Amino acid sequence: MEKLITSASPHIHSGASTRRIMLDVIIALLPAAIASAVIFGMRANVILLTCIVSAVLAEFLFNLITRRQQTVGDLSAVVTGLLLGLNLSTNVPIWQCVIGSVFAVVVVKGLFGGLGRNFANPAITARVFMLIAFSSVAGGAMPAVVELEASATPLEQLANGASQLPSLLDMFIGTYGGAIGETCTLALLIGFIYLLVRKVIRWHIPVVFIGTVFVCTLIASGDFVYALYQILGGGLFLGAIFMATDYVTCPITTKGRVVFALGCGLITFIIRYFCAYPEGVSFSILIMNLLVPYIERFTGNKPLGGSKNA
Amino acid sequence: MNFRKKISALKVPHHKNTAGMHSVRISPPKEVLLPMSMHSGGPAVPVVEVGDHVRIGQLIAREDGKISSPVHATISGTVKAIESFTPNGGRPGLAIRIESDGKMEKDPNIVPPQVHDLDSFLAAVQESGIVGLGGAAFPLWAKLDAVRRNPIKTVLVNGAECEPYITSDNRTMVENSDYIVKGVGLLREYLKAEEFIIGIEENKPDAIEEMRRVFAGDSTVNVMPLKSIYPQGAKQVLLYNATGKVVAEGQRLAELNVIIINITSLAKMAQYIEDGMPLVEKCITVDGSAIKEPKNLIVPVGTPIRYLVEQAGGLKSEPGKVIYGGPMMGKTARSMDEPVIKATNAIIVMDQKDAQKAEPSPCIHCGRCVATCPLSLNPTAFAKAMELEDEDKRAAILNKEKVQLCMECGCCSYVCPAHRPLAENNSAARSFIRKYNKAAAEKAAEKKEGEK
Repeated sequence: MEKLITSASPHIHSGASTRRIMLDVIIALLPAAIASAVIFGMRANVILLTCIVSAVLAEFLFNLITRRQQTVGDLSAVVTGLLLGLNLSTNVPIWQCVIGSVFAVVVVKGLFGGLGRNFANPAITARVFMLIAFSSVAGGAMPAVVELEASATPLEQLANGASQLPSLLDMFIGTYGGAIGETCTLALLIGFIYLLVRKVIRWHIPVVFIGTVFVCTLIASGDFVYALYQILGGGLFLGAIFMATDYVTCPITTKGRVVFALGCGLITFIIRYFCAYPEGVSFSILIMNLLVPYIERFTGNKPLGGSKNA
Repeated sequence: MNFRKKISALKVPHHKNTAGMHSVRISPPKEVLLPMSMHSGGPAVPVVEVGDHVRIGQLIAREDGKISSPVHATISGTVKAIESFTPNGGRPGLAIRIESDGKMEKDPNIVPPQVHDLDSFLAAVQESGIVGLGGAAFPLWAKLDAVRRNPIKTVLVNGAECEPYITSDNRTMVENSDYIVKGVGLLREYLKAEEFIIGIEENKPDAIEEMRRVFAGDSTVNVMPLKSIYPQGAKQVLLYNATGKVVAEGQRLAELNVIIINITSLAKMAQYIEDGMPLVEKCITVDGSAIKEPKNLIVPVGTPIRYLVEQAGGLKSEPGKVIYGGPMMGKTARSMDEPVIKATNAIIVMDQKDAQKAEPSPCIHCGRCVATCPLSLNPTAFAKAMELEDEDKRAAILNKEKVQLCMECGCCSYVCPAHRPLAENNSAARSFIRKYNKAAAEKAAEKKEGEK
């Protein structure tokens, strides 16, 4: 007699997997990674590789030591390492890259129970940690392909009221100072489109996040070009497309995600506009990560046919 | 213009391989096994004894209880045994085994029922043994009986057939359209229904064409093509997409003056009223990756799956899983010796490869289950609640998140990239909350009693 499998329905599956989603994110980040190498040279490659290798090794060893199931295969550590690397500038010493990656994977993710249990985005939290721990992380390094007078990022220049800004075209293709993965808006947009096509993310968070920053800046300054500089400069596109959309640390409903992105945009604007500090994306995402449980409380879907007082 | 909110749904592979295949009546099996519980409600009670000779259509078990359905012999032969039988996931009960005499003789006492008013009509439907053939197996008479409490204005005829593989309803529409016309006539006459909507997914153009043809002159019948999405044929989804109405929590469909009836149930009903032969055979789609020649077969109820598979050319590879009905909601059989029952509309045999399920990994909170749920429920919240030790807290969350609305369509499990068994968990959560709420209600009633 044949042995039949008995199981609960459904008996078919879409074929989606966590690993495939992570792979899609990695593919979507490739244009930005390539752009970083073109714009900032070999040093960018070294940083990215260091971050990826240390993140994966950290996850592997952490699982080994704490005797957990090995999860390196889900590729989430690769995504974390890659994202962290893209958020650093070429000034950062290699040993700091290693520490940041280990912090992201072990402290922010592993200690909270691994993938899916962390409440804050590992790469963002590690970056903020590095900003505070090592001063060299902040600010921009010089692009290798262009020669600029100042080493300040456009946002620093805007904050300090400097006059010599890169052109808007430079801002779009990324030939200016900044973290290696954040400057090339074009590459990030290609990644965004890829993620939309693959249905890994939906448009709401990036569009609302960036839109909020743009509209707030426009209203506050009344200067269209200035508002454009504000959204093209700094880590806004990188953060809005790849970090604020992290499933684990954003609300689960579309409604919740819109509220979340609105909050990210507002906080970014407030930090940038009212504080002396020129960046705000990392902090805003981190703060909103912490607010997710509260946002989820009032942004649940209304079940079809569900009555309120039952 | 229609600004209604769209219900989330899935695009699942159709696999309607047998859509164009005319149904074929198989040579009768050597024996059949007829469980007493082929319907929802109280099991039927045998009225024959071992050794009795029975003929097709003869009553072998009478209905018992408020909602129940009788069972009739589906082949002619001898009652070989009345044995214990537990359907997979169901309650233990009895089943009658009939050994064929090879003659397939019809019961000579069968005559068309005398139908002249609502009472006699409902009584006839009750005697027909017809149950909801879309899979729910709710006795048809009990469904129609709702007209005594609520006038029925609209009859929604369900020809959506949204599950992959199954094409037996499609064949009913193409091959037995005359019975569908007669069925509509009967409901119009006795239920006083004013409007009929026949909902059919667009992937069944032949069925749509045939329905349009036979109802061409009838302005009260609306043949409505529906998008081929899963679960288009689910009660709440079909109702909403066809009429814009929603059944609220705790409300019965009939309170909206609507009933939904499966298209094959309707045709079978009309056939019974015409010739008096109860529900003894069914068109069943036999398909799946392990089946050599997928087919639509007309088979006696109670036929062993093994025999059915042989009639479809046999197996082309080692079977891994046998499913009653479609792969989204169907239940698995434990053995190929289990019988097909009244509501079986398909037998899907998957090969070893297709039958495997991936190991679940941690939830990554991607929200696909929430975005896909046709009823806008939150399966991850149910899963989290079920992990709580404290039953009161668990029940509070499940009640608030309305787990009892879940229809177990399986969309959440289907899309989950972490392969989490969400639908299975929903089902467990629903049975937990049913028991919990019942106990809580009893406790409250006792307390009230004590205060008096």
